[in-house]
Amino acid sequence: MGEPFATFVIHLHNSQPCDTVRAMTRIRSTPPSHPVALYVHVPFCRSRCAYCDFDTYTGLEFAMPAYTDAVCREIEAAGERWGSPPVSTIYFGGGTPSLLPLPLLRDILHAAQAAFRLSPAAEISLEANPGTLTSAYLHDLRNLGVQRLSLGIQSFHDAELELLGRLHTQAQARAAVAAARESGFRNLNLDLIYGLPRQKLCHWQETLRTATALEPEHLSLYGLAIEEETPLARQIAAGALPAPDPDRAADMYEWAAETLAQAGYRHYEISNWARSGQECRHNLTYWRNEPWLGVGAGAHSWLDHCRWANLTDPLAYIQATAEGRTPIIETTPVGPEQEMGDTMMLGLRLAEGVATDRFRARFGLALETVYGETLRHLQDLDLLTWDGQAARLTPRGRLLGNQVFVHFV
Amino acid sequence: MDQSQIRDFCIIAHIDHGKSTLADRLLELTGTVSERQMTDQVLDSMDLEREKGVTIKASAVRMAYTAADGQSYELNLIDTPGHVDFSYEVSRTLAACEGALLVVDAAQGIEAQTLANLYLALEADLEIIPVVNKIDLSAARTDEITLELADLLGVEPDDVLCVSAKEGWGAGEVLEAVVVHLPPPRGQPEAPLRALVFDSHYDPYKGVVAYVRVVDGELVDGQPLLLMATGVTTEPIDLGIFTPQMTPTERLGTGEVGYVATGLKTVRECQVGETLTTATRPASEPLPGYRPVKPMVFAGLYPIEGEEYSALRDALEKLQLNDAALIFEPESSQALQFGFRCGFLGLFHMEIVQERLEREYELDLIATAPSVAYRVMTHAGELLEISSPVDLPDLSTVEEIHEPWMRIQVFTPSDYIGPVMDLVTRRRGVYETTEYLDAQRVLLSYEMPLSEMIVDLHDRLKSVTRGYASLDYTFIGYRPGDLVRLDVLVNYEPVDALALIVHREQAYEKGSALVRKMKEVIPRQQFKVPIQAALGSRIIARETVSALRKDVLAKCYGGDVTRKRKLLERQKAGKKRLKQFGQVMIPQDAFLAVLRLDED
Repeated sequence: MGEPFATFVIHLHNSQPCDTVRAMTRIRSTPPSHPVALYVHVPFCRSRCAYCDFDTYTGLEFAMPAYTDAVCREIEAAGERWGSPPVSTIYFGGGTPSLLPLPLLRDILHAAQAAFRLSPAAEISLEANPGTLTSAYLHDLRNLGVQRLSLGIQSFHDAELELLGRLHTQAQARAAVAAARESGFRNLNLDLIYGLPRQKLCHWQETLRTATALEPEHLSLYGLAIEEETPLARQIAAGALPAPDPDRAADMYEWAAETLAQAGYRHYEISNWARSGQECRHNLTYWRNEPWLGVGAGAHSWLDHCRWANLTDPLAYIQATAEGRTPIIETTPVGPEQEMGDTMMLGLRLAEGVATDRFRARFGLALETVYGETLRHLQDLDLLTWDGQAARLTPRGRLLGNQVFVHFV
Repeated sequence: MDQSQIRDFCIIAHIDHGKSTLADRLLELTGTVSERQMTDQVLDSMDLEREKGVTIKASAVRMAYTAADGQSYELNLIDTPGHVDFSYEVSRTLAACEGALLVVDAAQGIEAQTLANLYLALEADLEIIPVVNKIDLSAARTDEITLELADLLGVEPDDVLCVSAKEGWGAGEVLEAVVVHLPPPRGQPEAPLRALVFDSHYDPYKGVVAYVRVVDGELVDGQPLLLMATGVTTEPIDLGIFTPQMTPTERLGTGEVGYVATGLKTVRECQVGETLTTATRPASEPLPGYRPVKPMVFAGLYPIEGEEYSALRDALEKLQLNDAALIFEPESSQALQFGFRCGFLGLFHMEIVQERLEREYELDLIATAPSVAYRVMTHAGELLEISSPVDLPDLSTVEEIHEPWMRIQVFTPSDYIGPVMDLVTRRRGVYETTEYLDAQRVLLSYEMPLSEMIVDLHDRLKSVTRGYASLDYTFIGYRPGDLVRLDVLVNYEPVDALALIVHREQAYEKGSALVRKMKEVIPRQQFKVPIQAALGSRIIARETVSALRKDVLAKCYGGDVTRKRKLLERQKAGKKRLKQFGQVMIPQDAFLAVLRLDED
């Protein structure tokens, strides 16, 4: 193995851009000992949700075994290429990873264990659809070592679930939470969506109260974004649904932030809350702009100052790996300037913000030197605070994040 | 050529009635241009003309024609500009002719410009040959239109020529009619030279090339010339005729049409209507009818990218070489930074200039709302001419403001008299007369301020009459009006580029409509933005753009980074296209909101 990726290896290590990038700056090459986050994309769904524009497919379940094989090969090759780096988090995202039969999941985890130095304390997360979970499956998941479960609850109103095109009901969602607890999951995330068309503040309050009553360790609250060419976008364009009201969504967000703070959750990222110490370590990797490796169709990676992406079509991905070709379709070296910008754009999403000492350690430049003027301007607009030690969004800045981020792209 | 064998004529028609196509057929038939050389519509040389189907610059072509009587004739066809903004140029072209072909579309029939041009031609004492064109169209109402035209001119229906210039039908009869029905040029060959300039263009090697009709005497190569209106003397580089290419000749005799390469540097030194005479034996009187061109409509043109300012200036200078009616001077605006205040003959002229700047010079422009030239009398007895609302002095110092008025004629099916009346009177139009051409069609005459016309009157007229009405207008003079300046304040700061001069009675309505439109086009900002309309210090209307509360990507995980950055890059690029006005970002659209006050 490793052969399929030979060209890529050469490209990464001998190509001009990445070498030039390194030569030009004081950015250090990713040390092999630095832990990497591993993302595994599972692009299968029973049906497509009305708001979804992710890389996911329905009716492809037959390809799961072949897909698993392909993912295992990709993991194996990556382990060889990167010299079995330490891996501290694994995240199964989708799609609907909980559609993958247990044996297939097991294969993938075994492949990861074989290819990388998996930390004994590794955080292993899996996204699950509450409508497809059984107690048996949840037990087996726990036994496999998955400790963190992220449930796509979205709402505790059946009418809203229908509008979103979800397959489950609120009763199933509650049952899924109970079953997860019974199976021993001590780290549970609930995904909720607010700002739906016609949704009133009181509807949202009910959903969030119901969610907190279930005492999850972690909550992700997403303002509904109407993505182009989704069923929701079409319904809105046709006038069958009103567009979401951004001001009402802002009210919902503010109310949620207040309520969750009282309930003892830490608002550690724009859309994420957790009990102290239960923050998602895998996702923190993204927001700190630290390296991750994505495997599977459509997965992206960020390693050694390059970003790359795999073929999005699962069948094409399977075929490429089966034929010994690389599934990578696009590799982009990232220059120091962009890496700094990305570090700001991502890091400012976090409550910890971007700290000047970490920034200097990484880029060899003071945050003040690179962005001082911008930071002061944004501080004047009450979008962030900048005390010379760290830059952090203000509560207002969290709602107007894009107005901040545009300064760093 | 003997003077009696010469015929000088032009073609007049409503827009799109086929004037240029008929000209092409005549050139072909006389062998002036072979069929092979014939690019469609030879006389219209600019792309824009061809696209808009109108003639902007007049041309003149000499054709040799052997008539049915066996004799050889010299026919000079002078093309006329086809739009009402150029009515003065039309009048000079007519003055250079003895006759005109009046072309009417067999499907459309008589229109406002048909009548307007006909009246101009009759005033110029021209002999008229009526022609019904496009008889090949399935929608042609040839018999009906023929009768109407005969009726209008008081001739027999048999005297009306029926042609299809497109198919070439009847073009020969047209040439015969020119020879038989039009008189040869009047004018005295022995008198001192008087040549009428009816058009010009700028040539980088020869300077201003004046298009002339020799009215009296003769033009001989090598003679120094005197321009009687400006008093300039010049030694021409050469003279010649259009065949249609410029072809040098030794002389142009009485009644002949051709060109003089004057060597002058700008067309403003040799304007349409000028009289050329010999410097050594000058005529005692210039030809009548000279009038220096005077822009009527003004607007600020600003480059969207500030760096294009000097490119815009260069482009305007180049256009001006060929366009005596275009004037410009630097102007600066708080909101739009640096640009030029430009003067045009009318809205159509403005549109053409703007399009040429954008197309030929690849400039991206913002045009402010057009304004007319006002005359302001102050208590101190000063007379100011202002072409921009920001220049209007404090009203307490003003005795009177005068604005240009026009006579407009609307030719419409009688079903639409009501809507037309409504539209015009809402814009301060004063009704004058109604003339019925027949039971179904009327010519409505009004007087109305030019300022009320320059914003979309023509479009609105078309829309209230389902496209049937046609419009013609002429300037009648300056009249006093109860006018005020309407300021627009964004975030409590007046935006100079949005100020308007309006009639006091319309101020409230326009102010409300304007702030409402502005509210629609100004995107929500990080703080609330009040938009106010004010007369002096008095606020008469207000709207508020509420503050943007939520603008954030909810999700941003590993795989999204590239995509999310692209979204942000797009958002950033969108922001760049906004104009920073104090703390507020104003989109370019906002500066055009004033043009759309009537849409609801």
